[in-house]
Order: sequence, then structure tokens, then C-alpha cells
Amino acid sequence: MSERSIIDQLDDAVAALAEGRQSDLRNLGSELSALAGVAQDLIGLPRETFKAELQQQLTRSDSMSSSAPQPETNPVRSMSLYICVANASAAIDFYREAFGAKELWRLVEPNGKIGHAEIQIGTTSLMLSDEYPDYGTLSPGTIGGSSVKIHLDVTDVDAFAERAIKAGATLVRPIADQFYGDRSGQLADPFGYTWIVSTHIRDVSVEEMQKELNKWSQEQSAKNSDEAGSIKEPKLRRENRHTVTPYITVHKPAELIDFVTQSFGAIEHFRATGSAGGMHAEVSIGDSIVMIGGAEHIEPKPTAIHLYVPDVDQAYERALKAGAKSLMPVTDQPYGERAGGVEDDHGNRWYIATPFVPLQTIAQDLHTVTVYFHPIGAQRFIDFVTDAFGGKELMRHAEGDMIMHAKVQIGDSVIELGEARYPTQPLPTAIYLYVDDVDNVDAIYEQALKAGGISMLPPTDQAYGDRNAWVKDPFDNVWYVAAPLKGQS
Amino acid sequence: MSQATESEERLLIEAAQNDPSRFAELYEQNFHRVYAYVARRVHDRAEIQDLTAQVFHQALANLGKFKWRGSPFAAWLYRIAANAIADRAKRKLRESIDQPNPSSESFTATDLEAVERRARLFSAVDKLAEDQRRVIVMRFADEKSIREIAGELGRSEGAVKQLQFRALENLRNRLNEK
Repeated sequence: MSERSIIDQLDDAVAALAEGRQSDLRNLGSELSALAGVAQDLIGLPRETFKAELQQQLTRSDSMSSSAPQPETNPVRSMSLYICVANASAAIDFYREAFGAKELWRLVEPNGKIGHAEIQIGTTSLMLSDEYPDYGTLSPGTIGGSSVKIHLDVTDVDAFAERAIKAGATLVRPIADQFYGDRSGQLADPFGYTWIVSTHIRDVSVEEMQKELNKWSQEQSAKNSDEAGSIKEPKLRRENRHTVTPYITVHKPAELIDFVTQSFGAIEHFRATGSAGGMHAEVSIGDSIVMIGGAEHIEPKPTAIHLYVPDVDQAYERALKAGAKSLMPVTDQPYGERAGGVEDDHGNRWYIATPFVPLQTIAQDLHTVTVYFHPIGAQRFIDFVTDAFGGKELMRHAEGDMIMHAKVQIGDSVIELGEARYPTQPLPTAIYLYVDDVDNVDAIYEQALKAGGISMLPPTDQAYGDRNAWVKDPFDNVWYVAAPLKGQS
Repeated sequence: MSQATESEERLLIEAAQNDPSRFAELYEQNFHRVYAYVARRVHDRAEIQDLTAQVFHQALANLGKFKWRGSPFAAWLYRIAANAIADRAKRKLRESIDQPNPSSESFTATDLEAVERRARLFSAVDKLAEDQRRVIVMRFADEKSIREIAGELGRSEGAVKQLQFRALENLRNRLNEK
């Protein structure tokens, strides 16, 4: 046997050992098997970089006095979150109030923009900055949401959430005991991030968690098939139209169309003059339709509208230029939007706002245009829309008994309301309420009368292709319950 | 591994107790022992590294408490290592304290002999001729193939295999000297 082949044989043995295969060393002969034995002991030889790095750690002065720091053997030392927010300064204030964050430092541009800041939450630091679109640094509001949720391990999740909510966070998933052994819930901050807050209460094995998850999945699929099998309530919906669509009636509808076009970038889709000389028009603003109509001889019904626009400062300026008067200058609101208010020449009130977050994170079915009611007796109003139209209250903010602000879901839309109070007096208006099926017009009409509405027009097939019924609620708002006739669209 | 005599080791420990920066020498003396000790029970490289680091950090933090009682410093390190291995095993198996400890199987004399022998082998690698040492380190520590090593060193695969062969011969001879 030549030495060359011995060398190759030894390497075969080494390769086998390196791959964890036990080659039969005894067949190699005593010389080779002794060398292979050495090779076997060498498998797992410590890496020189590891030895040197550990020595460095040990001799670094800061590790000398502290007791057993965590070994650092990974090339990555730590991981940090870097978030972008619209209005970093407000965000830092919020995180301080809500989560007890400590500001470490910030770098500020002369114009006040925060280029970089670091705050500490618990033992972890969080980096954040304002938006810099030129550098691809965009906030959730601009992008349309954030797929990243931030998890906070806290000592008392209930107390923690309470404090955060007081500071302006929204509870998006209630605090509850979870199958994986945590008590947790989710909070949305006003800047578009969701925080999972949790306190560990018991140890659960991965197997048990998996079992619970399987059970949950089964329940979910059973529930979904149940829901598909029985439709419990008439769905309020019409294609391309939101359930709740405002109908603004003014003396000079053409001028109002000009106003909303100039101020809010409305797009006119349709304009016609009826037999009685009144105009009927439809414009869209953002994702919503607004109907505009009226004539000199028709009683006006101005409306209050909460309108979301991409740039509230610009819309506010344009509205003033177009002749509106200011109700409220544009300011950042603690509830998570930048908002101002104007009243146009026709008496409509526009509460215009740019949210810090995508609308859908505020309420799933919130649209660009939301009708805002100022009834006297807000609770009774909520009761009425609940009984008449199957409204579901989404949130309320009350001071004592007085409902300052509330959101109610009707069909695929949200309406808002607040108790009438100086200087905001009731502004009874007209609203289209689209239902999904013409057969439901009559049912909803009956239901609305039972709830205390007054019939203005029983269900009637109209020449323009709708079946509709008019009901005046106890607050003088007129609801046009409507659906397209079969075969029409 | 240079074998410090008992009195030399005492001096090193006292020096490190007074000035932690002197710990480097104790580390140098004992690194391969601790590593080989851990590797006797744990087979995953990342875990061996974690545990070895943990042992030295703990040793450094508790160096002031070390009292010279005639047994070598390595014995003290082995005890820290044994506890660290047992703790890790316990955590891994989510065992409660009253259940039998899977790592309580203590090191037999044979185990300790194997550990010492392997530590000597690891240290012997450092004393190889440079080209042989590099081949051994790349092959066994960095887990590279002959082809990769040949590429990096700019030599033929045959030459690398030959260096490996010579290096293993030299290592065996060194171990047999003791």
C-alpha cells in the first residue's frame, strides 16, 4: 500500500467522522486506526474565534464586576425595533403616558421634525422618527397599516391596559386569559401600531397549546359554516353604495357641488333636474358617495359630516378660500387625528380630519364620509337606530350621562353622534339607507315605524328604478330606505 | 496546554482575585479543559459554546469566593460546568426538581481521563507547524471540506490531505509523549 493511498484512506475516515458516520476504524490497520482515533477526538475542536471572543468578553472591564452576564456567542448582539410615526413628538408623549416610557434622547431638525429618537420601555429601547418619504420612511397611516405588532411583557396586564387606555390607546382585543398561559389583550395606539400586552400566569407545554389551537380551529370552522347556513337579519347593503349615504338638500345645489369639488376634491358623477324643478346630483369624496339636491323652493336640510381627507391642512385652507367659515382651526387631536372644522355657505358643517392611522383600524367599516348627528337625547337616538335599522353601538365617550361622542354601525357604514350642546345644535338631515334586497325595504320600514318613526312615504316603486320608503325619526331626520328594483341597477 | 505547577496556579488565582484582568491567564490554562468537559456530555456546538462561556463568566464573577483547598482550579471549574450542564438539561426537559436529574450521572474516572486527554489534544493543535495547524483548524473547528480548504489555501487537495495526515501523526506522537 503506497503512502498516497494511506493518506486518502485516512481522509475517507475523517470525512466519515465529520459527517457523523462511524466508519469501521479497525479495518484500517493499527497505524491508521490510531490516527483516525485522534481525528475522532478532534471532531468538535473549539473554534478559535469563539475562544478569542470569549476571552475578550471576560477581560472587558464591564464584565468583570457584574455577575455572570449572558454569554454572547452569536454575531448579533441584540435586536431593536425602529418605528416611523406621523408626529414622533406626540408619539413619545403618548408612550410616556401610556406605557411609562422614558425618553433617552432625540435629534430634532430646525423645523421640529424628529430625525431620530430613542425611548426606553421596560428594559428595551425603542427607536423612532418622524416620516421621511424621500428616504422610504413612512408611517402606518401613509402605508395603510402596519403588519408588525409589538409585544409587551408586563407585570399586571389589567392595570397596564387601563393606564394605556386612559392615555388614549384603544382596546382592540379585550384582556383575557389565553390558552397559551398568558393573560393578554391588544391595544392600538393613535399612531397605527398594535401592542400585544400580556402577563404570564401559568406554564403550558407546547403540546397542550397545539391541542388548544386545534380545538379553536375546529370551533371556528364550525361557526363559519353555521353562519353561512342561516341569515339571521336582512343585510343592509347595495353594491357601490354604502348603507348610509347622506342626502344634502340646499337652495343652491350647483354651488355646493362647486364647493365640495374645490375644497375636498369631490368628483361629480351625475346631475339631473327633476319634474318639480329640483336638482339631484351625486358626487364621490374618497370612497363614499354624497348626494346633493334641492332648489330655491325646497326646504334645505344641511348636514354635518365627518370627512376624512389625505391632507386636512390643505382641505381646510381650500374650504376657507372657497367661502366657508372656520368652526375650529386645524389641530392635532388627542384621539388620534389631525382635525379642523368649517361651515359652508349652505349651513353644512364639515368636520375634516386626517387620521394618524388607516380608517379601518379605527372602525372596520369607517368610510371617508360619515354622517354626524347632534340629537337632543343622544341615548334615545341610539336606541332608535338600534331598533329601527339594527344599529350596533361601537363606542361611546360620555361625561356623566351626556354622550359626547359615539359611533354606531349600520350595515356596512358607521354613523357618529354627540348630544346637541352649545354651540352645536341639532341639524336634522336626510339620509339614504340602502338595503341589499328590495324585499327588505318593507321589513325595515315596518321596523322603523315600530321603533317610533313616522311614515312619510310607504314602500313605493319609483320610476328611477328604486323601491323606497321614507321614515322620519323622532329627531326630524328623514331616512330614505331604498333598494334597486329587481332587474335594475 | 502548559501545565502550571500547583504553586504557579495558586499565584495565578491570587493575582486574578486581586486584579480581574489577570483572569486571562487562568482562562488560557483552562479553556480547553472546560470545553472538552462540556463536550463530553453535550454534542451541539452552539450549546457547548454557550455552556463554556457560562462557566467562565460564572467563574470570573465568583472568583473571590474560590478558596484554595489543595484541589486544582480545574476541579472547581468542572463543578461549575457540571451544574451548568445539569441546569440546562433540566430546563430542556422541563423537569421538576423531585424527578431524577438526567445529568446527575457524574463523571467517572474514565470520563475525566478522556476529558484531560482531549484537552491536551486541543492544546497540542496550537503547537503544530502553521500549515498543519491551519488545515486541522479548518477541517475540524470550521468543519470545511478538503476541497474548500484547498481552495482557501491555494493548494491542491492532495497537498491538503497530506498536511492533514502529517498533522494527525504529530498529534498522536505528542499525546503519546505524556
